[in-house]
Amino acid sequence: MKKALLRSSVVPAMVAALALAGCSGSSDGSDSDGSAASGTLAANWGGFPESWAPGAEMEAGYMRVPYETLVALGEGGEIEPVLATEWEQTDDALTLTLREGVTFHDGTPFDGEAVKANIEAIQGSQGPYSAPLQVVESVEVVDDQTVTLNLASPTPSLLTFLSTRGAPMASPEAIADGSVATDPVGTGPWAYDESASSSGTQMSFTAYDDYWGEDVGFDTIELYAIEDDNAAAAALASGEIDLGDSETYVQSQFEGRDNIETLSYPAIRNNLQFFDRGPGGVFEDVDVRRAACYAIDQQVVADLAGDMVSATQHFAEGEPGYNDQIDGYPVDTDEANSLMQQAGNPSVSAEILATVFNEDQIQVYADQMGEAGMDVSVQSAPPPQYFSEWNSGRYPMGLGSNDELTPYDWYRAWFAADAPGNPSGVESDELKAAADAAIAAGASEEADALWADVTKVIADEALACGHMVGEELIAWNADVVTGVAPSSQPWEPNLVDYQALQPAGGGS
Amino acid sequence: MGKLIGYRLALVAPQLVLVSLLVFSMTYMVPGSPAAAILGAQANPERIAELESQLGLDAPPLQRLVEWYGAAFTGDFGTSYSSSLPVTDTLLERFPATLSLVLGGLLVAVVLGIGLGVLAGVRAGGLADRTVAAATAVGLAIPEFWLGLVLTLVFAVQLGWVPVISWTPVTDDPVAWARGLILPSLALGIGAAALIARQTRGAMVQALSSPFVDTLTAAGVSRRRIVMRYALKNAMVPVLASTGITVTIMIGASFVVEKVFAFPGVGDLMLRSVIGKDFPVVQAGVLMIACLVIVVNLLIDLGYGLLNPKARPQ
Repeated sequence: MKKALLRSSVVPAMVAALALAGCSGSSDGSDSDGSAASGTLAANWGGFPESWAPGAEMEAGYMRVPYETLVALGEGGEIEPVLATEWEQTDDALTLTLREGVTFHDGTPFDGEAVKANIEAIQGSQGPYSAPLQVVESVEVVDDQTVTLNLASPTPSLLTFLSTRGAPMASPEAIADGSVATDPVGTGPWAYDESASSSGTQMSFTAYDDYWGEDVGFDTIELYAIEDDNAAAAALASGEIDLGDSETYVQSQFEGRDNIETLSYPAIRNNLQFFDRGPGGVFEDVDVRRAACYAIDQQVVADLAGDMVSATQHFAEGEPGYNDQIDGYPVDTDEANSLMQQAGNPSVSAEILATVFNEDQIQVYADQMGEAGMDVSVQSAPPPQYFSEWNSGRYPMGLGSNDELTPYDWYRAWFAADAPGNPSGVESDELKAAADAAIAAGASEEADALWADVTKVIADEALACGHMVGEELIAWNADVVTGVAPSSQPWEPNLVDYQALQPAGGGS
Repeated sequence: MGKLIGYRLALVAPQLVLVSLLVFSMTYMVPGSPAAAILGAQANPERIAELESQLGLDAPPLQRLVEWYGAAFTGDFGTSYSSSLPVTDTLLERFPATLSLVLGGLLVAVVLGIGLGVLAGVRAGGLADRTVAAATAVGLAIPEFWLGLVLTLVFAVQLGWVPVISWTPVTDDPVAWARGLILPSLALGIGAAALIARQTRGAMVQALSSPFVDTLTAAGVSRRRIVMRYALKNAMVPVLASTGITVTIMIGASFVVEKVFAFPGVGDLMLRSVIGKDFPVVQAGVLMIACLVIVVNLLIDLGYGLLNPKARPQ
C-alpha cells in the first residue's frame, strides 16, 4: 500500500529528475570499465585519516598506500626488512641499517636524518602512537645509512611497534613544513596526486617511478572515504569501488553478483578484565575471578554477533605470547558455583560500563555471571564517556579491546603493577617474576617461551578472560582485481597486501 | 522593512554569544579528559597531564573562554586536537558539502511541498487531495537514511543513473555536482516537502474560502490568476513560518544523509569530533551551524515581513 502511494505521488517527480540527470552528460569516470582498463583500483576503508602526519591515527588501508615502515611482520610474526635491511638490538639501543637508493616522493633521500625526523615527530605527536616511542631517549645518526635509537629501558617490542601503522616514514621536508598532514609524502609504491583528487571524497595515488621495490600491479590507487556500510556495499555493487572493508549484514547486496568475492580474517579482539583486585576489592579473590570466567559462555556472543569467534587467550597461535597450555575457561556453571562456595560465597555486586558497539556482549556476560550468583549491572554510556571511563578504575570490571601486538606491551599496558590499565596496582609475585625473566631475555631465542609463561600466569590468575576475536571482512570486485589477501600485519583491520594486487584484465 | 532588518540583526550577536557559551560549558560537562581520549587507553597520567598542558586544558575556564573569544573574533578557532590542523580551514573545507545538501533538500522541499500543497488545496476533497494526503503521510513516515539507501539501491546500483559516490565540489565540475546532489536532496527534502505540502494545503483552502476570492471571481478574474497571484501569496505567510522550522530540522537531518551518501560535510566531522572530544572543532562547528540557522531564520523573517506588513516592527 505504502509503495503504491509512493509510486503514485513522489516517484514520477523523482524519475523525471533522474532521467534528466541520466541525460546530462557522461559519468564522472567512476565506472569500473575504465577503472580496470586504466590500471586503476578504487578502494574504500571507511574514512580518510584526519591527518597523514606520522603518529596520527590512520587506517592501515589508507596509510600503507603512500607510506612504508622500517620493518614489517612476516606470516609467523618474525621481523622482516622494509626500509631497514638490518638491525641489532640491545637493552640500551636499537641500531638500524637503512636501505640504500630509497627516495621519498618529493625526491628527498631516505637516510638517517629522515628516520630521526620521523621518530621525533611521532614522539612529539598528539596521538596514541607517541607513548610507545617515549622510551627512545635520543636518535643518533651514525651515517646516511645507519641510525641508532638510544633506549631508556629494555624494550623488546620496539621493532614490532616500528612495523605498525603507528610508525610510517614520511618526508622530513613535508614534516618540517607541516604539509604532510594533508599531503602524504612517503616512500611507498604510490605517490599522492593532488591534482587528480577530489577534496574530502577521493584521493588519487599514482605509481612512483623511482620506487625502490618491485613493480606494482596497478598504476593508480584511488582511495575513497565512504563510512556507511550500506553505502560502501552499494558502491562496490555498482562498480564505483573495487575493494574495501565490509560487514556481514550488508552481504545481501551482493546476491546474484558473482563478481563480488569476500574473505575474512581475525583482527580486532576484546576481553573481560577485572580491575578491582586490590585489598578488599570485589575481585581480589582469584576464585571469584575464575568463577566469573567459568560462568561466561562466549559461544552465545559468537552466535549473537555473527562476525566474532571465541578464543582461549589473547594471542593467536603462531604469535609471540601464545601458549598451547592455556585452555581458557570453558563454560561450566557448576564449577563457577563451586569456586564461589570455595571463596565463601561473597556478595559480588559490580557495575560494568558498556557502549553501543559492545553492549550486547557485555549484557550477555553480565547475565551469565548472574548464574554464578553475581550481581552485575550494565551501565550504558555514549562512546566518549565509555572510552574515558571503562578502564579508569571507577568500575570494578570492564570489557574492551586490547590491541597490543606483543606480550611485553600487553603486560606493560594492563597487568604490571604500574600499568595504566591496572588501577588496583596489584601484581602477583609469580607474574612479576615471570615477566622479569621474559624482559631479561630481551630478543633472545628463549624470550618467546618465557613470554608464553607470562600469558599462562595471566590466564591462571584469571586477570582476563572471555576473549573474543572480531572477523574483518574484505570484499572486492573479481572482474577488476585479483590477488586479494590479508596483510601479514596482525590486528590491522581494513588492510590487504597492496603489492600483491593485480588487475584482473576485465571490467565489471 | 529597514527597522525589521535592524531589529533582527541586533539579535544575532547575543544569540551567537549565548550559543558559544552553552557549547563552551558543555565541554566541561563531558566526562573524561580530551588528552586521555587522544592518547588512548594506555597513556600514563604524566603523559596525559603533559598533553593537557600543551593543549591549554589546564588553564582556568574563564581564561580559556576569554582567549577563545579573543581568537574567534579574528576568525581563529584554534587547532583540532586530532588532526593538528586549523579548525577554521577544516570547517570551511567541509561547509560547501553541507550547504549544498541543505540547499538541495530545501529546493526539493519547497518546490515539491508547495506544488503538492497547492494542488491539494485547489482540489480539496477530490482525488488529488486524498492522494497528496496519503503521499505526505508516507513522506513523513520514512526516515531520511532509509530513503537514502533505497534511492541509492534503485537509482545508483540497479539503474546506474546516478553515482553512489555523490559529492563533487562545484568548482571541480558543476554538472557532476548537480547530478550528485539529486539523490541526497531527495532523501533530505521529501520528509520536509510533506510538512510544507500539508501546511500549504491548509493555508490554500483557507485563502480560497476567503471573501476576497468571491469578489475576484465576481470581477471576472480567472481561477488560475486567483490561485497563483492572490490565494498563494496569502497562503505563503504561514508556510514561510513553518519552512523556517523545517530548515532547522533539515540541518540536523543532513548529518545522517551525509553519512549515507559519503558527503564530506560538517556533520561527519562533528560526529567524530564529539566522540573524540575534539572540543575546538565541536565549538566552532556548533557556532557555524548556529550561524546557518540564524541566517536562514533571518531570511525567513524578512520574507515574512515582506508578505505580512503587520509582522514588521511598528
